[in-house]
Amino acid sequence: MDDLFLPRVARIALVRDETPDTKTFGFRFRDPADQRDFRFLPGQFLELSVFGFGEAPFCFASSPTRPELVEVTVRRTGQLTDALHALGPGEEVGVRGPCGNGFDLPSAQGKDLLFIGGGIGLPPLRGLIWNVLDERERFGRVTILYGAKTPTDLVYRDELREWAARGDVELLVTVDRADNGWDGNVGMVPTLFDKTELRPKTTLAYVCGPPVMIKFVVQDLLMRGFGEDAIISTLERMMQCGVGKCNHCAIGHRYVCRDGPVFTFRQIKELVE
Amino acid sequence: MYVQASEGRPVGVAPSENHPVSRGKLCARGWNAHEAPAWGERLTKPLVRRGGKLEPTSWENALELARASLTTLLEGGKSVGVLGSARATNEENYLAARLARGALQTGNLDSCLRATYQPFMAGIAAIADGRAPAGTLADVEASGCILVLEGDLASNHPQAAHAVIKAIKAGAKLITVGCARTQLARLAALHLPTLPGERAVLVASLIAAATRESAGALEPPLPGLEALRASVAALTAGDQLRQAVMWLRQADRASILVAPEGGPPERVAREGTAIATLAAVTGHLGRPGSALLPLPARGNLRGACEMGVAPDLLPGMAPLDDASAVARVARAWGRAPAPAAGLSAEGMVGRVAGLVVLGEDLSAVLRAGQHALEALAETECLVVLDAFVTPTTRAAHIVLPIASFAESEGTTTNLEGRVQRVRPAALPPGDARPGWQVLAELSAVLGLPRSYRSADDILREIAKVAPAYDGVSERVMDEAWGTFASPLPADREPTLQPIATDRVLFALPAVLALDGVFDWGSDPLVSFSPTLCRDHVSRRKLYPSGLVQMNKADAGGIGVRQGWPVRLISAHGEAVLPVVLRGELEPGVMLVPYAFRELVTGVLGGRSEAPVRAEKVQ
Amino acid sequence: MANGARTIAKRDVAHWLAALMRRAEVIAPVAAHGGDVAFAPIASPEQVLFEFGNTLHPPKQFVLPQTDPLAVIRRNGNGVEIEPVHDDRPRVIFNVRSCDARSLAFLYRMHASDLPDGSYLARAGNVTLVSLACTVPCELGFCTCCDAGPFLKEGTDLQLTDLGEHLLAEPGSDKGFALLSEAGDFFRPARPEETGLRIELEERAKRLFGEETCHFASAMRRISTGRVAEELWEAMSDWCVECGGCNFVCPTCYCFSIKDMRQDGSWVRCRTWDSCQYQAFTLEASGHNPRERRADRIKRRFFHKVSAQYYLRDGTVGCVGCGRCVRVCLGTTDMPAVVAAIREGAWHG
Repeated sequence: MDDLFLPRVARIALVRDETPDTKTFGFRFRDPADQRDFRFLPGQFLELSVFGFGEAPFCFASSPTRPELVEVTVRRTGQLTDALHALGPGEEVGVRGPCGNGFDLPSAQGKDLLFIGGGIGLPPLRGLIWNVLDERERFGRVTILYGAKTPTDLVYRDELREWAARGDVELLVTVDRADNGWDGNVGMVPTLFDKTELRPKTTLAYVCGPPVMIKFVVQDLLMRGFGEDAIISTLERMMQCGVGKCNHCAIGHRYVCRDGPVFTFRQIKELVE
Repeated sequence: MYVQASEGRPVGVAPSENHPVSRGKLCARGWNAHEAPAWGERLTKPLVRRGGKLEPTSWENALELARASLTTLLEGGKSVGVLGSARATNEENYLAARLARGALQTGNLDSCLRATYQPFMAGIAAIADGRAPAGTLADVEASGCILVLEGDLASNHPQAAHAVIKAIKAGAKLITVGCARTQLARLAALHLPTLPGERAVLVASLIAAATRESAGALEPPLPGLEALRASVAALTAGDQLRQAVMWLRQADRASILVAPEGGPPERVAREGTAIATLAAVTGHLGRPGSALLPLPARGNLRGACEMGVAPDLLPGMAPLDDASAVARVARAWGRAPAPAAGLSAEGMVGRVAGLVVLGEDLSAVLRAGQHALEALAETECLVVLDAFVTPTTRAAHIVLPIASFAESEGTTTNLEGRVQRVRPAALPPGDARPGWQVLAELSAVLGLPRSYRSADDILREIAKVAPAYDGVSERVMDEAWGTFASPLPADREPTLQPIATDRVLFALPAVLALDGVFDWGSDPLVSFSPTLCRDHVSRRKLYPSGLVQMNKADAGGIGVRQGWPVRLISAHGEAVLPVVLRGELEPGVMLVPYAFRELVTGVLGGRSEAPVRAEKVQ
Repeated sequence: MANGARTIAKRDVAHWLAALMRRAEVIAPVAAHGGDVAFAPIASPEQVLFEFGNTLHPPKQFVLPQTDPLAVIRRNGNGVEIEPVHDDRPRVIFNVRSCDARSLAFLYRMHASDLPDGSYLARAGNVTLVSLACTVPCELGFCTCCDAGPFLKEGTDLQLTDLGEHLLAEPGSDKGFALLSEAGDFFRPARPEETGLRIELEERAKRLFGEETCHFASAMRRISTGRVAEELWEAMSDWCVECGGCNFVCPTCYCFSIKDMRQDGSWVRCRTWDSCQYQAFTLEASGHNPRERRADRIKRRFFHKVSAQYYLRDGTVGCVGCGRCVRVCLGTTDMPAVVAAIREGAWHG
């Protein structure tokens, strides 16, 4: 029986600044056997130990189709993330996981996929997007709609360019407030819906972002005819164990760390607080 | 409460069902009390400041440096002071008093929270023939009528709140007085709203209602009644006040619980006298079963006061000019105590050249907060005894590591006057030593030697010096749950005095006041407890610019919503703070949590409350 | 549980305990300070109490300590080393009441199900339970409503019944049988009149216990279908002081946090007891708190304990009727009071 609470040691191999308060970290497990055997699905999360500061959950931001580095994108919000941001390549952290249910990719095959991300909501989608793009022929149309408060809050800028340049992906980006150098769309994410052709009957919509954004986006999608099972999101809660024992993330009798964090809108509606 | 330990470290707590006060129940702080000693940043070695940095050293070096520095200051005619602590045991506080008045021969002796409690005791004593606050929480639970003057009793004194809740369930009438309809106020049969700073007027009005002819004669009539009646004659007492007085009079047993408000000691003392007067004119002062309990802001505040940690008292709380008390102390110490009154805690910081601080973080407790720390920088020799690293230990020249409560032997005195033993459950880490030992050694190197073999030796000496503690040492050993310090015999009935009724008129529509008398969030018991600190830490993170609480209607009235900035303007100054809506507040009341007091120093102008105008920030 | 029942004379129990102490840590109810009774490891058989009101602090602390070290994390020349802490010491918890035995079986299932918690199971798996059936009701318990007493049909390794001069021991598991067989001649097979007396004692106990009730069924229906008015939880919240005591003394509560504690240059990762009644239990890093209001937290506690959703998941209601929450509450929001209020649709304080 594996010890549920023991982290495996991993070394930071990559640190990339995304925005003034957000960084992407890429790790490799110190033990080659761990590196070789580690499996995860997009939509799952890991419990990251910053030694001396504790543990916190972060969703996988990389795809299992690119297992060389496991990546997470982290915004500074407190002591632990401050300490993480101070670490550089070669330094050690602990990884527990994978935790949670992940996106159900097999059932998405053959469908059109709509990814809608807001601000710090793009990281959980990024792993899924790369997974889809690495197996592109299995899926229908791929549309990515992404928005942030300002141009400096956009993450994965290089990859946004890469996706925009691909012929088999439609990418629309917007910001709530532009700055001088911005010549793209301005307005909140739902304003992008009229700039693309949505096909509610054949499309699965994956929505991640701040709760307020998700609320408005989902309302809009429902009005446009998307089914409750076709809208998929991730929930966040205060977590401690990440393995369904400590009860912190329980909503009714469902556990965000076990039954989620990925839920369809129908499932979210049924959750009883 | 039992502290459970493993390998010398505290790992948990268990309640004690037969304990006469807690009866198997603990509050959130109690259930997690083991976390601070185990998880907190502990001091494990004596430290001395060299080249601007604190470095570990031996006990001999540290004590020698303390001796040399303090002696040099004294010989140079400079002033020194000692601060005891409501977090320390009676023995530690007694030795702090002895260090001050005995070894250092100074009257600069106080504890940071004394001003919230001891003046109240003195106020009661002024009419109650020298008696101390009396009664137990069991009395409160069995009372038919309870008057609570509170901040938020359920949050600040859960055990006291429990006694009140049990009483209500058994049919007692609860009357609450306060500027917010907090939990207990919602359970009360009658809530009497007041503005901050106006509590005194309400109590005087209750006294007026009780002394009117219509309230019926007081049997037996007490001396001074006429003068008292005349002094409150001008106050109006409406139906609600008359109802409250009737309930108090009619109850066979009626108890009064008073939570401290900030303010000058004279004001606190006047309130003590007024509350005792109210108890007297409703027939309950000194009546068995009717409790009159001011609530100490922290665990051993009553004990610290009774050990004489005050600028103007001797151990046992005797006045400095009480000849027989002076003689008792001189006999015990082998030296006469310093005869003059000295500076208070707030007064000492930055004004004395040498300061010894026992177990307290001045920046968390003193009104001056951060400024207190800055003022401490002026101190030439700051010696701090503590179990935990705090901003005050970081500012020290000499740090002496002592045991935490879980590792200490001694006694404490609770709000009821019950003296209880504390026994060590764990070992002090590293080179930390029991606080009483360190204080005894410090006094010894400063010329007042006396070898105490145990905390019990100290308690026996206390008994010789403080008559109320006579025999406590034997009784506290024998009895399972501690013992009461003997109340002084009351020879006479209470003698009533006229009550001053200076009304504070708030001409402007709103009053700003501080909520609380110290910052729980910085207290080691909370800040080092991973379970308890989470929301305190988060609150500060969410409100890095502080916050002011307003009720929704008031906020709406000036056009602000949750989180929006508000400008507070008073005759003394201004401040801008984000608003947090709090539905419980009386209209016109705005509160700033004690943790953010420094942001409103200008607005309050040194007082605890001030009339203000609130404006939306454009 | 009548198969294999054996009896021991009371005068031989001390010897049996001494034998147990040689091969395991024996934990039993002992006299603590001032009349308190507590479960503690014993130093001598004479400490064990056979007549006692159930302890206020439950025996769950011996399988789930309030501070439970899981791993030691050290930095050395090679980087970070993580060393698991395993506690598989053999223990016997002796003279637990039926309710507590049930609760320990419940806790075991919680930690064994879904993703099994190896460290918990290693410790709990090496615990042998010797329970003492209750022949007289305790003051505040209501175990009969929870199928957790006064006698047990299952869920304990060995059930003792006090017959007067003797104790009857009924093995309820392989561990129980092993215990009896190791005890050898201290025990002899139970005689028919002894098993008959035991059955009679149970019948008598059930009749005596019948006075205390806690009607879970109707409360469960309402809680599970969202038919408890918000106002009811609101009203209750003024009678709760948020001490967390209910969770800490409840023998079936096991919520915890994971924290790293600094210790002499390394860190010890610990599981620590936590309470769903505390405001920060669901407080997120962003400052958002889905259970900001106390009423929501009280509702949460009772949903977890009494809902059909959890009943179906766990196979039992989350309560063994020990009555500790009644004893420990600084307010008045204990299980029987709340269940009665839900049934009635009104809270009286």
